[in-house]
Amino acid sequence: MKPLNTLIISLLCAVMMLAAPISAAPADIAVTSSSLDPQVLMRGDTGTLAVTIQNSGTESVAIRSARLYGSGVVPLSDSYLQVGALGAGNSRTFTFTVRADGDEGISYPVFVLEFRDGASSLRHPVPVQVENTPLSASVVKKPDAFTASRTADITVRVGNPRSNDVSGVQVIPQGSGFTVTPGSAFIGSLAPDASGTVAFNLTPTTETDVTFQVVWRNGINTHTADLVLPITFGEDKRQADPVITNVEVTPIAGGYRIVGDVMNAGLESARSVVISSGSPAMPIDPFRVYVVGTLDPDDISSFEVTFKADGTMAEIPVVVEYRDNDGNRYTTSTSVGLGGTTPAPHEKQGEGMPATGIAIVVVVLAVVIGAVYHSWRRK
Amino acid sequence: MDTGFLRVLFDPGRFFEARMQGEPGLKVPALIAIVIGLIGAASTIPMADITAAMLPAEMQGLGVVMMVISAAAAFIGGFLGWIIYSLIFYLVSMAFKGQGDLKRTVEFVGYGLLPQIFGGIIGTYFSYRLLSGLTVQPMTSPEQMVEFSESLVAVLTTDPLAQIAGVVTILFLVWSANIWIFGMKYARNLSTRNAVLTVGIPVGLYILYMLITLSGWL
Repeated sequence: MKPLNTLIISLLCAVMMLAAPISAAPADIAVTSSSLDPQVLMRGDTGTLAVTIQNSGTESVAIRSARLYGSGVVPLSDSYLQVGALGAGNSRTFTFTVRADGDEGISYPVFVLEFRDGASSLRHPVPVQVENTPLSASVVKKPDAFTASRTADITVRVGNPRSNDVSGVQVIPQGSGFTVTPGSAFIGSLAPDASGTVAFNLTPTTETDVTFQVVWRNGINTHTADLVLPITFGEDKRQADPVITNVEVTPIAGGYRIVGDVMNAGLESARSVVISSGSPAMPIDPFRVYVVGTLDPDDISSFEVTFKADGTMAEIPVVVEYRDNDGNRYTTSTSVGLGGTTPAPHEKQGEGMPATGIAIVVVVLAVVIGAVYHSWRRK
Repeated sequence: MDTGFLRVLFDPGRFFEARMQGEPGLKVPALIAIVIGLIGAASTIPMADITAAMLPAEMQGLGVVMMVISAAAAFIGGFLGWIIYSLIFYLVSMAFKGQGDLKRTVEFVGYGLLPQIFGGIIGTYFSYRLLSGLTVQPMTSPEQMVEFSESLVAVLTTDPLAQIAGVVTILFLVWSANIWIFGMKYARNLSTRNAVLTVGIPVGLYILYMLITLSGWL
């Protein structure tokens, strides 16, 4: 072999020996981690999937592109088509926007890394969890029965049965036929298996359905769940119950007088209790109405009302008005029999007649005094 | 001026003094008692109407009977009052050594009842006014009637008109007592002081009873 050829071959070998370390093998590139935000997607959710690779070799690796393929979880963002070289010991993160189109379960979209050598590529399936379980809501406190215009305390508990955190949780009552305070209640973040409670003061005006809409965010995705609470009116087992007893009807000049006792047989206080005679009776002085005030449970108070009534009435209603702690007005009526055995004084009897009678007394008195004086003066 | 027996109203002293000159006569006093009895009978009509109204239709005949009985009782009551007053004054005057015929006492006491005629008329007017305004429904049981009667008493005792009628009755009784004082003075030959005591003690007690009753109404 000629010396020149030997030299050329030696140079080539030397170049090859020098060139070999510059082009490291693709096997030195590995996916070191992947993360999904949010950690668990719901069907239709959009999230971001971050895949981190690292060059564990001693030479840089030329990378052509990074792509994500999948069917259950589909990428929405473009692939990385011009990546370049990844230096020795360096790492890089590729972030893809994905959407969960598949059913519940774990999908494995494939992260594909193509190298410049054109012959090799890295394929790495990334696990993505899809779970459609919504937040759960329940009414943990409500009155035994609703009453029109009476404020009821409603407490709603929201729990997170999902396996990832949710944020921005709030409860919004929706519907018509009621007023509610507050209009919405904010809970915030809920960790897995955590719960939060919110309270509402709800005042129904008609029988209706109240929908407590639970709104939350899973990542950037907003979700809702509805909790329907039917509002049907009924008798509150605890409400005040004024009962009239020990009634005594007494005829008086120009009308009747009713004296009796009113007792609160309920379990809540009756406030601003006012007693009067109802139509067709006509209240008259001195006790057109009788203000009892507050009657606590089991309290009793006497009352007295005076009224005028037609003689044909067999009974008249005694009306008890009271308010609950929220200021709602209630009215109960109790019929009190006049029995037909009570004489009804003439309604105009008491008007004007006393004046005439007093005049008669004065005249008679004057005549008698005059007669007595005259008889003794002439003696 | 001689105005007959009406002079006893304003000048009982001279009237009885003049009457002492003649024999005792009971015609005019009896006439006065009859008038008082008639007025009393008339005053029972409103109450009898109410009583009849309480009764069921099939018992209305009983209502008429009750009306007649009550009117008769009221009529007789006029005479009874006359006699009772006379006897009481006669007996009380005996304590003051009064001397005189019982017939004269009865005569003069009868004249003293004259103001009661006016009192009876006014009282009857009040009675009509009191009772005519009451509405009564027929009752079906004795218990209802008892309850009604109790209620009626309550109505009558609480009405100012009833109290005024009571005051008027007392005033006319005072007027009669004034006449009786002069009557007893001459009929039983008493001093003025003893005549006042003879009449004043029983009449005063009766007026006290009426006032107590009236104060109970108040």
